Amino acid sequence: MATTKIDNRTRWNTLHKNGPFPLKKFLTTELEKPTSGLSDFEKYKDVAIEIRKLIQQAANKNECFRAIGSKWSMSNIAHCQDRMHYNVFMNLKFNIFEGEIHQNSAYKHSNLFWFQCGNQIKEISRYLEQRGKSLKTTGASNGQTIAGCISTGVHGSTFDVGSVQDYVVGLNIITGPNSNDNVYIERKSKPALRDDYFQKLDARIIRDDDIFNAALVGLGSMGFIHGIVIETEDLFLLHRYVKKVPKTEALKLADTLDFSNYDPKIPNFDYTGVRPFHYKIFMNPYNKNESKYAVEFIYKMPYYEDYKADFGNPIPFQKQFIYLDLIYLFIKIAEKLPKIIPTLIKALKTSILPMEEKTTVGKLSEIFWDAGFQGKAFACSFGVDHKNSSKTLELLAKLTREHPVPGIFAMRFVKKSKATLAFSKFPFTCMVEIDGIQWSDKDKLISLKNYSTKMIEVLKNNNIPFTIHWGKNANWEFPGLVKHMFGIKVKKWKKSRNSLLSIPMQDVFTNNFLNSTKLSGPLPLEDNLIA
Amino acid sequence: MRFINIVVCFCLMVALSSCYSVRFQVEQGQWEPADTEREDAYSGYNVYTLDTIVTRKITTGAHYFNISKCPSQALHTVEYRSTFGGVLLNAITFGRKKKVKIKYVCIKENSM
Repeated sequence: MATTKIDNRTRWNTLHKNGPFPLKKFLTTELEKPTSGLSDFEKYKDVAIEIRKLIQQAANKNECFRAIGSKWSMSNIAHCQDRMHYNVFMNLKFNIFEGEIHQNSAYKHSNLFWFQCGNQIKEISRYLEQRGKSLKTTGASNGQTIAGCISTGVHGSTFDVGSVQDYVVGLNIITGPNSNDNVYIERKSKPALRDDYFQKLDARIIRDDDIFNAALVGLGSMGFIHGIVIETEDLFLLHRYVKKVPKTEALKLADTLDFSNYDPKIPNFDYTGVRPFHYKIFMNPYNKNESKYAVEFIYKMPYYEDYKADFGNPIPFQKQFIYLDLIYLFIKIAEKLPKIIPTLIKALKTSILPMEEKTTVGKLSEIFWDAGFQGKAFACSFGVDHKNSSKTLELLAKLTREHPVPGIFAMRFVKKSKATLAFSKFPFTCMVEIDGIQWSDKDKLISLKNYSTKMIEVLKNNNIPFTIHWGKNANWEFPGLVKHMFGIKVKKWKKSRNSLLSIPMQDVFTNNFLNSTKLSGPLPLEDNLIA
Repeated sequence: MRFINIVVCFCLMVALSSCYSVRFQVEQGQWEPADTEREDAYSGYNVYTLDTIVTRKITTGAHYFNISKCPSQALHTVEYRSTFGGVLLNAITFGRKKKVKIKYVCIKENSM
């Protein structure tokens, strides 16, 4: 049998130390050892029974139960005060074979893989690469679990691909303690696996587009995501280059995403008119005199074995790069500035983002590689239609100059997601984000809660429709926030939650984050009848 | 007095130069994670520490010892720390005793 270690605790914290938060019990489930003689299928079934048992125990005590992975989220989305379940050791991996594909499936079996919830992006990439495959996109780094990624909408800046949840084709979710609470969900319009595949795992099959789309970005509240079927693609290479681009040029590209006549002028390569795989702008809000922005261009290239002979090993280069994730860039800049936060902010007014004109070529997993712990960090990230990206950046940068905080901005671009509560809801969503280091009251700056409230107010006052990244810092208690962001989709999401979870189970899978955002609680009966 | 100063400076130089650490890490392996509250480079990693003195015996042969506490039986990171005390111990025992201070992180089980 799978074993669960239960530790009594008083508190828990995120990786970036955005808490601490109170906690009673911390649960860690480990798979049966290889010496058990069980097949991976049997281990998977075995651990599903264990999770059902743990859900029952939480329900018996009227306590909440929440799965967590790598705890990279900075909001309290992953936290619940009673029982938190650490699932990173649940990392079985399965290939999908030809005979296991649904007869009406459009998917190639060799592109489908099924991963248990605790698989981290880095190990998934390695597993896939050994089979000539790659994830379609990841976040800026690789430490998150696959279940954590999709539950919170982790994204990169691949504006023709989307977010991590957008290549998910099936979900195995445990919605309660009973045997029929083990469900496998996929789109009715795009089935992937044969019925008997999940019958082997004692899972009940639900083919429903609405329920699937709602469960994709489920905020950890649609039950316990046990397994995820994803679609991958053949290995590819990425060519990364960061250069300074005149502000007007960089922002015009952001507002239009039209690269048809654009020449990025990358040495030894001609990318004129080529649409990049990834486009990202970095910006120091405090230096108004900087005439250029640092822009990261990444282009897709066909994979070939000996690319390292031509371009070198990308990993040592990654360690030298400054423009990795945004918080890393800020720390690198701040290293050379005074340590006292108000003085640091003053120094940023004359700081110019550094040059970094180096070519790197590598696989997706090598370009978006490890991000070490950068200290206590904060991040606020707003999604807007890319046509509003330059206006949004200008407004939020102005706000930040009026109410300074120790951070800098970036803009990333993501294709629209089909997930009901995906913050990448616009045709092309521009995620305008500010990352930085945490500050304290003694620094005499605006509080993070007030700062993020003002960000919401600025966008509302300027009639810019927006969303907020679920895993980032925000005033999630802002009145009517989620309804403002998602409108009718909130009811659709709740309706799907109603159909997946019984009322007692909705309580088990509810936390303070869900209460703050008013997404908890069952949908009134009349609303349950909406189409 | 001048001689004493020179000796003190020399000792300080030796002491300081013998205190360092070196970290080796594989590029593509998945580290074994842990939910801890540490705030250093190992935040999120399950770190094992080995602080011991290895005594060379006639039967030992080559200087190695086994790492048995690693569920995957594969290493992700090894950080070796050299201290002045360790160098001194090695010197005064003519290499018979070695102070070993390492931190290591294993590869996550089932991740390869």
